[in-house]
Amino acid sequence: MLSDLLILTAILWVASFVLALIERSGLAARVCLVLGCAAGIVFSIGGLNLGIAPFFFPIHLADASVLFRLDAPAFWLFLFGIIPALLAMALSTSNRSPRPRRYWMAGTALALLGALGVFGLQDALSFLIAWEVMSFGGAVMILAEHVHARASSPTLFMLALLEVGAVALMLALLLLSNQTNMLSFAGFSGLASSPKSFLVGLLLLIGFGAKLGLLPFYEWFPAAYGSGSGATGVIFSGVVLNAAFFGLQRGACTWLPKTGGWSTGLAIVFIVVSVLSAILAILYAFQEEDWRRLLSFSSAENASVAIATLGISLLLSANSHPVLAALAWNVALLHLAGHSLAKGALFLTADGVFHASGEYLICQRGLLRRTSTVFGIGAVFAAMSLAALPPQAGFVSEWYIFQTLFQATQATTLVSRLTLALAAAGLALTAAVALATFVKLFGIGLLGDGYEGPAPISGLRSGAVFVLGLCVLGLAVGMPWWLPSLSTANLSLFGANAAASMRDGLLLVPLSNKFAFISPTKLVIAMPLLSLVPIGLILAGRGAGAPRRAPIWYGGLREKPREIATTSLAFSNALRTFYGFIYGPTHDIAREYHHAPYFVKRLVFNQELAPIFGPYLFTPLVRIVRFLATGIRALQSGYLNFYNALIGILLILILALALLSR
Amino acid sequence: MPVWTLYGIRQGLATTAWPKKGGNDGQQGLLGFPRYHAEACENGCRACADACLPGAIQLAKDGSDSECLSIDYGKCIVCQLCTEACPTGAMEKSQEWAFGARHRDDLLWAEALASAPAHQLKDKIKSGFGRSLHIRHVDAGSCNGCESELQALNNPFYNLHRLGIFFTPSPRFADLLLVTGPVTYAMRDALLETYHAMPEPRWVMATGTCAVSGGAVGGGYACGHGLDDLLRVDVYLPGCPPNPVAIIQALLLLLNRDKQRVKGGRLAQ
Amino acid sequence: MNDTLESRVAPTDLPDLCQQLLQNGGRMQMAYARYPQPGTPPEVVYIADQAAREPFTAFRCQLDSNETCLPSLATISPLLGWYEREIHDLCGVRFEGSPEPYRLVLHEGAMPPLPPLDPQFHPVQPIPFTPSAWRLPELQGKDVHRLPFGPVRADVLESAQIVFYYIGEAILHCHPQLFFKHRGMEKRFEGVHVEQAVLLAERISGVSSVCHALSFCQAVEGACQCTPPPRAQYLRVLLAELERLYNHLHYLGHLCHTTTLKVGEAEGKLLEERAKQVNAALTGSRFLRGLLTPGGLRRDLDTSRLYALLENLKPEVGEYMANLEKTNSHLDRLITTGPLPRQVAFDQGASGPIKRASGIDRDLRRDHPYAAYEELSIKIPVKTEGDAHARAQVRMEEIDSSIELIKEVLTRLPNGPIRVEIGPVRGREGLGWAEGPRGSVYYATHFNSSGRLARVKIKTPSFSNWRVFPFTVHDTNMMDYAINEASFGLTMAGSDR
Repeated sequence: MLSDLLILTAILWVASFVLALIERSGLAARVCLVLGCAAGIVFSIGGLNLGIAPFFFPIHLADASVLFRLDAPAFWLFLFGIIPALLAMALSTSNRSPRPRRYWMAGTALALLGALGVFGLQDALSFLIAWEVMSFGGAVMILAEHVHARASSPTLFMLALLEVGAVALMLALLLLSNQTNMLSFAGFSGLASSPKSFLVGLLLLIGFGAKLGLLPFYEWFPAAYGSGSGATGVIFSGVVLNAAFFGLQRGACTWLPKTGGWSTGLAIVFIVVSVLSAILAILYAFQEEDWRRLLSFSSAENASVAIATLGISLLLSANSHPVLAALAWNVALLHLAGHSLAKGALFLTADGVFHASGEYLICQRGLLRRTSTVFGIGAVFAAMSLAALPPQAGFVSEWYIFQTLFQATQATTLVSRLTLALAAAGLALTAAVALATFVKLFGIGLLGDGYEGPAPISGLRSGAVFVLGLCVLGLAVGMPWWLPSLSTANLSLFGANAAASMRDGLLLVPLSNKFAFISPTKLVIAMPLLSLVPIGLILAGRGAGAPRRAPIWYGGLREKPREIATTSLAFSNALRTFYGFIYGPTHDIAREYHHAPYFVKRLVFNQELAPIFGPYLFTPLVRIVRFLATGIRALQSGYLNFYNALIGILLILILALALLSR
Repeated sequence: MPVWTLYGIRQGLATTAWPKKGGNDGQQGLLGFPRYHAEACENGCRACADACLPGAIQLAKDGSDSECLSIDYGKCIVCQLCTEACPTGAMEKSQEWAFGARHRDDLLWAEALASAPAHQLKDKIKSGFGRSLHIRHVDAGSCNGCESELQALNNPFYNLHRLGIFFTPSPRFADLLLVTGPVTYAMRDALLETYHAMPEPRWVMATGTCAVSGGAVGGGYACGHGLDDLLRVDVYLPGCPPNPVAIIQALLLLLNRDKQRVKGGRLAQ
Repeated sequence: MNDTLESRVAPTDLPDLCQQLLQNGGRMQMAYARYPQPGTPPEVVYIADQAAREPFTAFRCQLDSNETCLPSLATISPLLGWYEREIHDLCGVRFEGSPEPYRLVLHEGAMPPLPPLDPQFHPVQPIPFTPSAWRLPELQGKDVHRLPFGPVRADVLESAQIVFYYIGEAILHCHPQLFFKHRGMEKRFEGVHVEQAVLLAERISGVSSVCHALSFCQAVEGACQCTPPPRAQYLRVLLAELERLYNHLHYLGHLCHTTTLKVGEAEGKLLEERAKQVNAALTGSRFLRGLLTPGGLRRDLDTSRLYALLENLKPEVGEYMANLEKTNSHLDRLITTGPLPRQVAFDQGASGPIKRASGIDRDLRRDHPYAAYEELSIKIPVKTEGDAHARAQVRMEEIDSSIELIKEVLTRLPNGPIRVEIGPVRGREGLGWAEGPRGSVYYATHFNSSGRLARVKIKTPSFSNWRVFPFTVHDTNMMDYAINEASFGLTMAGSDR
């Protein structure tokens, strides 16, 4: 039954790909995409509880039959990626002309199919194909949308970096298949702790990290996300990101050896790289002035946090703490689940901003005042979650991360403990900046005053944001019931069931309730009860007559709130100055004078941040490629004599070789 | 580097014990509003009225043919010119400056002291405030003299905080709007906006002769005549500028922690 | 006009004369317009300062009835920019080629039917006013936050709005919008008898009552060529220096407030309070009001206890200032904060301690001596750094020198009368000046044929220094703003009048 739903999902997506290319209105394709997502949600919920049987495709690649199987982490990550995807499909891209929409849907169908393949395919060859399809679909989505006039350059940048990752993946898979001469993943797990296993681990980190936004790869994020719509962002930060993380955790937890010095080393590399990525990504996110670019950096940050947690899990495994390792692994999955939902809600909010104003700029437009309450509730829940405020899902996973780190002080070696302590410090910084980032996003992006006019955001979109916001809360509140679905995976991967000891009745506890506990479930009951006090006061005060409302206090003069609204830069400039050594900010102030330099007529202000890796890594690389290309260009010169000369030299060489070998 | 905390402790207690009994209020030698002795006044003399720049002293016809002085201490700028102009000593220099009053009429000189009981405090002030008071000051065009004395309230000598009275930056937290200056055309809207931004119950105090009546600078193309045309004033405090002790007394008067001293344009004996 | 080399000039000659003046080391001090007769077009008067102990220079330019336009000199002598705008607002004279042809003294939206200083303008007629936006530099760039602050600001402060072009911490541009407190004081003088007019002068800027009254009295005395008796002259110096003393002590306390040196703030303000109580005990007024009058003083003063009081105060003030100069947290916030280059200070008309902290060694007490200053030894501190610390240091040294001056006055105080009758003033003109705690005050007085005041122009130090102040704020940051503003020690009342 569930397998049938899976096949239905795939068929619907294939159908939507075909329909998007041939049918003019694109309506059928959209319906197919949405229905496919719905079927996907149903089967992954079912799969989490029941599991499904492995499924053989009736095709053969390289003489091996193609096996498709989804396990619990796959269901988990797929489910939470696909829920926002469904709503994004229903609302579609923010480009409203039919042709781009159709192509966008075709790209989306490809990306979703690719992601499904990444989750389920069980051999190297078909996996790589699915991986490439997913990347290609993403590129098609951005190019089709034409939200940004110059989308091609960022797309190329993205594809180039993804290809670097793909090459690394291919190498890793080659090394692994070398082991048993099998392309099937089933034979990959026998690697002993050695430089080779370390190398494979690194290659996997690079390969999947390119998609997850580890340093330096996160630098493709803002440009690519920033050329597409929010709906594209939903897919990228949801299903696609989750698929990549799934691939990484599968490789790290099942293919690589669990114990040994090289494994410890690899785990430390995972932690260091991802914590640094998280810090850099969130620092850049905080400075962004574009909804999509800010959210994209935040996605890189969250993915990095998940990888850091995975690294912690690996480190604890290597130190023979299977229960703690399982706990860390669970936390990584929890984190991504909450992130997908919340990020989906905010990307849809970003599209709402675009529909209302024609741009994705983060500035005060008073949107919250003008739209329905449910829109605001959805957006604030999502922002709270990403800022790790209780009782949202983001808070639960953040709390678990730090609890895991505290527990992990039991790690035996000094190096491990040191790494964990530094990781804790780094993640704490990340969490603090993340809070500021989402205060900025919500406060400047949605609050404000002074705008007139009808509700700029459709009921459908408000509803979608609201549903996702509720899902975020639901994930946190329902945590005691969600956690058991990870038990089987815990047992099979670590031989210990941490998921079962992460709850105690309605309380969430880090393995034991002696250490600490939280309960979003109880909090959502208690908090509305607390609100009865102010509500009661308001009701009691109503007898005194209608409240008198005074306009905003601006020091005595009436101002137009819109004209003196806090700008995005004004909010974040202090941190920009403080972390100037990272940001390398440049401010450019030009003054135009009237007659003499004392009389300023006009001020022109521009500011920029320097990306870290751009000038030092990518630009030199591009230069080397260009240099080589210039050098080898002669080969393409088309001069007959040049080719004759080449042939002549070749002949002489062959003759020389022949003479020498005699 | 000096240790300022020790330095501060070494300086000892600077705060006056006033308004407790026997406390030194620090106003020795300070000249106040001229005291008028009607019995010494010569009929037909108008030296003081001529010398008075703001027109606080005017000659008015009473019932009979003779003219008599009408003195409005709400307009007096304490310049002492009348005391110097008066040939008979009817206008006498004094050290009376605690002229905070709930009603504007109390600042007008009256022949017979009003037999009406001293204006009693509204009960709601007491219930509304208890003992603490938060003040939002608005400068509506003063000469900066009143501000200088208001700033002095927080110096260690007067230490206004000890009386539970505070200046607040935002009108949102303020109970009292303390206004100085005759209200210039440019500050008029800002003043009303500030009043509007205050939560109820709220009170208004006109501080300084300018705010009470416009004083010497009121009128003209840019100035009003104080607060009376704009807001309902709860306490009037003339003075040019009123000294810090007079301001504190007026604040305590508002809080019903002190009694009104001025009646019929003179201090109660 | 007394002590002035006057020349009547044609409008077209003005730019050249101004250039020449600057080349000869002169500096414009003020400009104003007056109506010689009701119904006639105004006359514009420029007053400049040539060199120490030389007469002032005055260019007088009478407009004729069909020409109400003069060439703007603001690009030659930038400090004239505000005077030109003021003349335009109050007298309706236009300035051709002005780099900032906007309202200054009157706010945008104030619509007087006639120029307010026109004698035909009814003295108590309020001007119609509909608030509208100020003229600010045009701004390009979505990142900049226009941050208005005021006019009702935090704490007990005078009213003014400071508009920042702000990007979070960093200030790109600062525009102080003043003249919320414009009371039309110059118009208020019209038709008033000199003895009462002193009271108005005392109320231009409450904390500079003495220097305003002194400057006004000297303008009247200059007009009627009368000299007050020596005792009055010495007592005038005494009062002026007492005023400097309490103002500078307040300044130090307030500066500590902005650098969050709490005990330093308390001590500074306590010392100020004690100085004010000395004032009250000596004169009956904490602001030293009600004493000065044209011709001398209204009352004699009993100075017998003053020397002892000062002897008490002096070591405390000395220790306090020495401690301030040893406090790193305080100095760190002052040194290099809000630097004012000498050239900007000169061009934009910086006055008093501000200009002396930027290396301009001018002080009216020494360069154009008045009252008894000629006979006394004054130390004029000058610094060249131009930062907040230099401004504070100049004032601290002035405190020392004021105390010394007062003591010298007390030891040399002659006996004798304190007042002379002033001569006839009908139709006369006079110029008076004084170096107040904040800088130079000038009064130009014109009398009508009945001996009442027809026009009084007041040049205040804060008017000059507010003009300069923003040039030390552009491209600085918000943390320094309050410190910088405190280091200038400005008042709005003086500037706005």
